[in-house]
This record gives sequence, structure tokens and C-alpha cells, in this order.
Amino acid sequence: MKDRQSWFVEELERRGVSRRDFMGFCGVMASVLTLPRSAGARIANAIETKEKPTLVWLEFQDCAGNTESFLRAGRPTVADIVLDVLSVDYHETIMAAAGHQADEALASVVRDKPGEYLVVVEGSIPTGANGAYCTIGGRSALDIAREVCGGAAATIAIGTCAAFGGLPAASPNPTGALSVADAVPGVKNLINMPACPANAENLVGLIVYYLTFNRFPPMDSYRRPLFAYGKSIHDNCERRAHYDAGQYVEAWGDEGHRTGYCLYKMGCKGPVTFQNCPNVGWNSGTNWPIGCGHPCIGCAEADFWDKMTPFYSHIAGFPGFGVHTSIDRVGLWATAGVAAAFAAHGFVQLGKRYAHARADADNEAKPPPAKTPTDDSATEKGADA
Amino acid sequence: MRVWKQHVREVELDNVYVWEWPVRITHWLNAISIWVLSVTGIYIGFPMLIAAGPASDHFLMGWARAIHFYAAIVFTLSVLSRILWMFMGNWYSRWHRLIPASKERIRAMGLTFRYYMFGMRMPPGFVGHNPLAGLTYAFVFLAFLVQIATGLAMYGASAHVDSPLRIFAGLLPFLGGAQMARWIHHVVMWAIWAFFVHHVYSAILMSQVEATATVESIFSGHKFVPREDIVKPGYRFEHPEA
Repeated sequence: MKDRQSWFVEELERRGVSRRDFMGFCGVMASVLTLPRSAGARIANAIETKEKPTLVWLEFQDCAGNTESFLRAGRPTVADIVLDVLSVDYHETIMAAAGHQADEALASVVRDKPGEYLVVVEGSIPTGANGAYCTIGGRSALDIAREVCGGAAATIAIGTCAAFGGLPAASPNPTGALSVADAVPGVKNLINMPACPANAENLVGLIVYYLTFNRFPPMDSYRRPLFAYGKSIHDNCERRAHYDAGQYVEAWGDEGHRTGYCLYKMGCKGPVTFQNCPNVGWNSGTNWPIGCGHPCIGCAEADFWDKMTPFYSHIAGFPGFGVHTSIDRVGLWATAGVAAAFAAHGFVQLGKRYAHARADADNEAKPPPAKTPTDDSATEKGADA
Repeated sequence: MRVWKQHVREVELDNVYVWEWPVRITHWLNAISIWVLSVTGIYIGFPMLIAAGPASDHFLMGWARAIHFYAAIVFTLSVLSRILWMFMGNWYSRWHRLIPASKERIRAMGLTFRYYMFGMRMPPGFVGHNPLAGLTYAFVFLAFLVQIATGLAMYGASAHVDSPLRIFAGLLPFLGGAQMARWIHHVVMWAIWAFFVHHVYSAILMSQVEATATVESIFSGHKFVPREDIVKPGYRFEHPEA
């Protein structure tokens, strides 16, 4: 253990990261994980001393956006090192091996370390045409996912595609794309980390949590870690005060937009999207979409695209009335239509009543006939019999 | 005892205590809370008022939401109490007056519909809900439960981590996510409004045609009905001249 610790400290120094920076990183991780600040020391100890788990990174129907999210960090960070010291044995985008060598790297992990390695899945898994839409080394994505995820200690579905199907699964879903949860039913210890792309800080946080506590953090009903997906964007938004005050952007570039009012009326999906973007930010905490005046498009939610569109409307329209027709307008007209129908009913009712009253008056004036063939109820009786 | 003229004959009217106080109270709590929920809800969905000046001077949306949530508590408890009363209350408040479970009520449902389509001069007489109205109320209660479920799911998802309401966020996957829950919450509100229009019209219509104090009964609880409606409900049409 002593050797390993010194190796880690040396590695940090070689990359120009002081011990102070490292402790700062551990403190940041504690706060990303919504743990008390004192947890930082425990995290530091775990990172320095624990055996790093083997990790394989599978890419299926994806754009490599989640990989990019990690690789394009603006400056070398301790997070990079933590990812580096993970034993990443297979990652198509960044590994040096190719061809059979690469296949062998994956096969050996599955063969030699069953139940010990972590697998990160990026991209959705197509099931149409017997999986022909995505094959690697002649094997379908579904086949690979079932084998690799089936033997893993835990599966991390990174990005909205792997977690929920994402863009490939948007209607009409030509490739029959599925999320990891749907494609590999009964997969053990699945953790969904959606967003397009997922935030690097959250994946690092998840791994740090796993290293520190030897288990995975509490999760919600979508199997998303609560530390990153426990609060809506809206509830942590820096523009929330404008929302509560009733101050909204009503057109791009209007006074409210320039002042930084709430983007709720411009179709912001912050209230229905759960992620820690407002706290963690993007590009090393430089900014985030709402911070630069664009509404949240809800990229981290299930059925992103199909249900979050239209992006610039508060809510989708009613089927058959066009996507941009306000549902409340349709509802108002429908209610008005019902009112008109009943008003019409009322007029007919009044007319009938008047006619009946006249007929009754005539009947009373005349001697009562033997039968009343004009009586509706009498004909009813005949019809029912 | 009043005397009631049913087109050609005079019948005696019996005073029947139809709607017990829990039915009347929950009815009016529902009515009031639906109005409050709708007005605040429409503002929450489409905030047409924009506050000027510093954000700290205003709390428009904050109040709209707070009122909405308190009204939602009243509404939820009222609806649940009424559903409980469907199994505890008198004959006219029971669940089987809402869901047509017998052959007679299913048959009379068609006849009530025929009356509404001007096929009959008088509606088939019932003391409490006619079967068609009862079925409508069953759907209305379903709509209420959908509103409660979608509302609680959306509230629960944003509730404090320690809040027990947080458990309702677990409904979101079944509702198709929070954005879908929002959509359902809007659509069902308008469905309830369409029902409201029908409800007021039909109550006034029945009050006029049957003259059994339908509208007054939701205040007093009492109806004045021809004895044959009590003895043999739903068959007034069979002997209009008897």
C-alpha cells in the first residue's frame, strides 16, 4: 500500500498537481456527491490506496459524445488522473490496440475477471434486422452487451442513448434501438447516467463514490444516482428568483432576456429535467445552457426528443392540432364547444317544451282522445317492447 | 308534501334525504378547489402577468404555486373522503350508483341517453344519480385521481429529499416522465372543465324538467320525488299516462 501511495503522489507531481490541489479535488467530489465536507479525507484515502477496478468502455449506437465530454477537458485535472489510474482495458476511441488485439483485450477481461470489472456503455443498442445496424468484429451490439454486461460487477449506462434509448430511439426508431436496461434485462447493478452528453464530473463522482464506499450511491426510480439527478434543474437554477417573482423572457432578445429573466415561457424544460447542471456547470464549470440564455431542452430525461420537443414550447400540442398549437388553447375551445353544444341542446329543449305545452293546452281544450299517438313516450314503449 | 304535475296527471311527492352532509361538503370543497386550482394552474402553465422591477420585490409565481399546492391538499383529501364515503354512506352515495353494475341500470343508461337526444319526453326517473350521470361521475373521479397522481408525481420529484411526498416521484416512469405528466395534467384539467359545463347545464335541465329540486338538493340534501321513482326507479317512461 505504501508503494502505491507514493506512486500516486509521484504521478500527481509529475503532472503538476500539488497535494493541495488533490485535496481540493476530493473536497469538490464530496460536494458533488452531496456528502459532508469531512468526507473529502476519506475520499482522498480511498483514491490513494484502493485497488483500481478494471473498466471497459463499450460504444454502440452513439456519437462518442460522452467520450468527448471526458477527453476534451479544458485543462488536465485530477479527474483525468483518476480516470487514467482506473484500469481502462478497452475503449474503442482511445485505445492503441486494433483488430484482433482489441477484441482479445475485451475477451480477456470478460474471461479472466468475471464479476469484478465495471462496464461503461455508451450509445443505444439496436435490435432491428437481427442487430445488423451495429456490429463490432462481426458480433451484434446486443450480443456483446449481453455478454459483457452480464459478467460485470456493475454497468454504467452513460449518456441518454445508453440510459433511455436517446436520439436513436426517437420516433420512428428505425433501428429498434433500446436502452441498456431494456436490451439486457435483469442486468446487475445498473446505474443510469443520462444527459447528452453526461457530465464528466458526475461519472468521476460515481467512480470516486464506488472506490470510497465499495457500493453505489442511492438512486431514483430511473436508477439515476440521486447526488447528480436528485434535484430538478429548475430547483437549483440561478434564475429561479425570477421564476418565483413572475419575471419571464417573452421573446428572444427582449428586455427580460437581456436582464436574465426566467426562460420558462420560452419552453425551458428545467422543471421536468433532473440533473445538477446549475451546480456543476459545463466545460470545467465555465457556463451552462441557461447561464448563457438558452432554455434547457431536457436532454437528461427518458424519451428525450420525442417528449421534450418542441424545445421552445412549454408543453407539446394536442395530437392532430399541430405541435405548436397550445394545448390550453385547444382545451379552451373544446370547453367552449361543449358549452355551445349544451346551449344548442337548451334551445331545442325550450322549443320542445313550448310545443308540448301547446299540445297539452289543445288536448285539455278538446275531449281526451282514445290514444295519444303523438306522445313520444308512447312510441318509446312500442320500440322497447 | 307537494303536488307535482307530470304532464297529464298529478302525483304526490315524497321528501327524500338523498345527499348526506359528507357528500355535500366534499362536493363544494371539490368545486371551490377546482376553481382555485384551475385559476392558479392556468397562471402556472402560462404566466401572463410579468412583474417589473427587482425580483426580490415580487412573489407572483411563488404565491400561485403555494395557493395551488394548498388547494391541491384540500382537493385530494376531499376526493379521497368522497371515495371513502362511497363505501360508508347511504344508498345514493354508494359506488354502485356510479358504476352501472346491474342490468337495469345499464338499460336505463341507454334510455337516459335517448332522453338527452330528445327521443323521450321525460327522463327515466331516479332519485339519486341516473345511471348515465353516475357513469359520468365515475369518469370524473377517475379524472380527479389522474390529476392527483400527476400532481403528486410532479410535486414529489421536486420535493425536499426528506419529504415523504418524494415517494410519489416513483409514479413518473408509469406516467411517461415529468413532461408527459405535465401534459396529462393540462389535458385532464380541460376535460374536467368540459364536464363542469355539462354538469351545471344538466343539473339545471333536470331541475326544470323533473322538478324534483335537483339543484337545491346539493345545498339541502333533500329531493322531492314521485313515489314511483322510489318504488320502481327508472321506469317512469313505461306508464306515462297511468
